[in-house]
Amino acid sequence: MIKKKCVAMLLAGGQGSRLGVLTGKIAKPAVPYGGKYRIIDFPLSNCTNSGIDTVGILTQYKPLELNDYVGSGKPWDLDRLNGGVHILPPYQGQKGGDWYKGTANAIYQNLEFIERYNPQYVLILSGDHIYKMDYSKMIEQHEATGAACTISVLEVSLEEASRFGIMNTNDDGSIYEFEEKPKNPKSQLASMGIYVFTWEKLKKYLTEDNENPDSDNDFGKNVIPLMLSAGELMMVYRFSDYWKDVGTVDSLWEANLDLLNPNIDLNLSDRNWRIYSRTVALPPQYISDTAKVEHSLVTDGCEVYGALDYSILFENVTVEEGASVDYSLVMPGAVIKKGAKVKYAIIAEDVVVEENAVIGKDPSEIPPEDFGITVIGSGVTVGKGAIVGAKEMITEDVKKEEA
Amino acid sequence: MISSSVAGIVFANAHDETIERLTKKRSIASVPFGGRYRLIDFCLSNLVNAGVSNIGIITKEKYRSLMDHLGSGMHWDLDRKSGGIRILPPYNVSRVRLYQNHVEALYGAMDFMVRCNAKHIVVYDARTVANINISEVIKTHTSNNADITVVCRRGLEITNGDNTMALDVGKDGRVLLTGFPAKIAADDCRSMGVYVFDREKLIDIVKKSYETGGDTINDDLISANLGTLKVMAYEHKGYAAIMDCPKAYRRANFELLNTDVRKDLFNRERPIYTKTRDDMPTRYGTQSSVTNSLVAEGCVIEGTVKNSVLFRGVKVEKGAVVENSILMQGVTVNENAQLDKVVSDKNATVNAGMVIKGTDEQAFFVEKNQTL
Repeated sequence: MIKKKCVAMLLAGGQGSRLGVLTGKIAKPAVPYGGKYRIIDFPLSNCTNSGIDTVGILTQYKPLELNDYVGSGKPWDLDRLNGGVHILPPYQGQKGGDWYKGTANAIYQNLEFIERYNPQYVLILSGDHIYKMDYSKMIEQHEATGAACTISVLEVSLEEASRFGIMNTNDDGSIYEFEEKPKNPKSQLASMGIYVFTWEKLKKYLTEDNENPDSDNDFGKNVIPLMLSAGELMMVYRFSDYWKDVGTVDSLWEANLDLLNPNIDLNLSDRNWRIYSRTVALPPQYISDTAKVEHSLVTDGCEVYGALDYSILFENVTVEEGASVDYSLVMPGAVIKKGAKVKYAIIAEDVVVEENAVIGKDPSEIPPEDFGITVIGSGVTVGKGAIVGAKEMITEDVKKEEA
Repeated sequence: MISSSVAGIVFANAHDETIERLTKKRSIASVPFGGRYRLIDFCLSNLVNAGVSNIGIITKEKYRSLMDHLGSGMHWDLDRKSGGIRILPPYNVSRVRLYQNHVEALYGAMDFMVRCNAKHIVVYDARTVANINISEVIKTHTSNNADITVVCRRGLEITNGDNTMALDVGKDGRVLLTGFPAKIAADDCRSMGVYVFDREKLIDIVKKSYETGGDTINDDLISANLGTLKVMAYEHKGYAAIMDCPKAYRRANFELLNTDVRKDLFNRERPIYTKTRDDMPTRYGTQSSVTNSLVAEGCVIEGTVKNSVLFRGVKVEKGAVVENSILMQGVTVNENAQLDKVVSDKNATVNAGMVIKGTDEQAFFVEKNQTL
């Protein structure tokens, strides 16, 4: 193997249980986003745009659709003679094998993969964030400081800080303490779950961590504290552009609608930093005489006869005459039939919303504590005239005119 | 399986002159169509959907845009170890003149025909827009024990009859007579420029015709052999359009605004493939108004669009109005400009406030990269 400067390892095995029915059949990184993307397009495109051409994808939970989607890596220009994209599921060896126990264990089980490229640095990424980032700059800083590990951080508000892993740093950006979801945060620097390790150090500490039977084998919980206590130089890398964790239904919905917010800088077709995706050639979208489309994103293969406002239609969606979709995401292949109303909802793939059904509630209709995004799971049929309230998550067909 | 027994030959430049403004710098096969396609996509997709994966593309000039579009053939699943696409440019030896007609061109592709080791060859004019079930055509050809099968369509709207062959078809489906409208006025059955040939017969008649100065497929390969070969017609019943003049090109683009036409042409069982790009979905602004239009990805629409076809990456700014127009990839219509009955080639810019109008007879044509 030709030596690589940096190999990226993408943690894509989590179930993403907070996304509920949206990850019932697919791994979180394969969840559709922004009309024609999947969440995993972001780390993969960032890798290829940053000049990283060797990526291991660690899969475990419901990998079928994710594997299909990644395929040879061609859409991200990651089908390479030397390097390229590799799907790395848990495997059996001579002495047996095991599921990936934690994020660190997943990498530990694949040290052999990294060893083949004998890189200087290893970049650890996760598959649940929407952001555009030049990893090469982070690696440059890592190289210049000579750190054992560099952790990408985002400055968040003090209120938000208790939801994140917080890095407490010295003036020079070196980390002296890591606190997971602190009640009284000392700093506003939140870890983005993106790490650059010097390969030799990573190998050493992963091996050590693996020998500790009490460890959960998790980067944040175990490996980072272990390295800190050993006195390794750990640095933060500050990132200040758009970044959003899409681990919950609300944040996924928000991150999608951010694409329609003119004040948010998230241009996915920027020629200098394009987000690539596996696209199928579909006919252009048709917007009919009866349609009213405002402030929305619409993808190829859609047929729109109804009204759209502040919404995103993914590919092959049909919105029939008299139907309306407001502040909602409608994922591939769904059909919204005549007179149906969809508001503040996520409609998953291949859902059929029958005539005059009403899905979701506008925040003005109900008390704030009852409000939430409604989710209809993939393949569900919502019957004629049925009503589905705010915050509900539906996995079974809803019969007509029942809530 | 059909795949190994059928090869395809596509004419990429035939009839370039019929829509000359769009073929100034490209072959007719690479003329943009229907919001995101090039004409050749229909032909390649039909072949691929029938399992034909060994396709020679005969081209003679202005083929850079065609080669850009085709690339390795990956978008049609034609990047194959065995077969795939082969571009067949003129094999120019200084003593021999560049081929001038279909027969000479086929003769030039003799190596491909001899080597392709197929039983049948589908010969396809890239200017035909249709979703043809080529598997069925080949099945019919085989069960008829035919030497040549001509795919035809009744009731085709033809503007320029001179190069669209009419057929007189007997009750048994056999082609009795071919000619041009003047000769066969009564019958409205037209060749769609798509043929299945028995490969060995094709090699044979091309050689003979070439030696005697043959010219067209219609006259010299088909009409001339009606007496000696079994020539059958296969009637395509779905949508079809032949780009035989600028008006036909416009008409066919606007026909895509009809839901039934789209359903037939973009049949989900037999998809039409094309080169994909990494555009964002199309963004409609707060003041946009779009009706009865076909819009490809990557557009940003802040203004009004009616009865139009917009290709990828078109921008229509606030206050601008686009009606009855075809705007190709990357066209920008600036604020308050008004376009009616316009056909704009790629990457043109219409400055703010400009008013441009064509007529039903003749669209106002904007050249590639032009700024108005």
